[in-house]
Amino acid sequence: MNRILEKNKKGTNKILSIYWFAILILIAGGIFAMVYTFYNRPYDVRELEANVMANKIADCLSNKGYLEKEIFNGNFLLNEDNFLEKCNLNFNIEERWEEPQYYTKVSFYNLADMDTSIFDVANGNKNLISSCEIQKDKEYEKLAKCVERRFYSLDEENNQYLIKILSVVRKTEKNV
Amino acid sequence: MFKNNKKAQVGETLTWIIATLIIIITLIIFIYASSVLPKEHISPKVNVEDEVDGIEMKTSFTHFLAQNKNKEIIDDWIKKENE
Repeated sequence: MNRILEKNKKGTNKILSIYWFAILILIAGGIFAMVYTFYNRPYDVRELEANVMANKIADCLSNKGYLEKEIFNGNFLLNEDNFLEKCNLNFNIEERWEEPQYYTKVSFYNLADMDTSIFDVANGNKNLISSCEIQKDKEYEKLAKCVERRFYSLDEENNQYLIKILSVVRKTEKNV
Repeated sequence: MFKNNKKAQVGETLTWIIATLIIIITLIIFIYASSVLPKEHISPKVNVEDEVDGIEMKTSFTHFLAQNKNKEIIDDWIKKENE
């Protein structure tokens, strides 16, 4: 009878070790699933990207409080064709997009009339403007992110100019 | 004696089954939490306004150059951004 009990003990040990391996694999799989689901969502950095673009454009327009000479020398020297080149911007950076994923518009105002711009320049995908209109009251994840920044600068004769930069980034598939 | 042994074995097996169930349920709870948490609490919100802002610095510097001429009017206009 002692022999039977000894054999039984060996069998139990074998079953237990199989059980422990199964539990080990289960827990390892669980941890993998947790990490995978936690980090699987892409980070939405479009707002940050739009802010960086607005900052870059502001740097290109104004330096040390004065409008750049390449931008304004009594007349505005910017137009749709040379805007990106003068500000060292490139909107066609990734081949995966058929249409440009950016849009930007710069408006200049003077103090006499702060509602009507005296000069505008824009470039990029104009279809993205509608996203900004729609999201005035509520933000939608799938739509393009819009950032509006305002600052002011002087010209050489110390005339004051108010500048509004609208910066829009879509890239929804990559960020949401 | 064998009858007693069998009862003990059934008790021990039940303990293992319950322990396994607890492990599985705990894992499911954690997996569910890790899928829900990033959406609700840990989604990255970058607050650019809290960082050192180059555009705000530009306005401040221009105010200094212009000796705060029309400062209030300009600041009111700037505050309307994103409205």
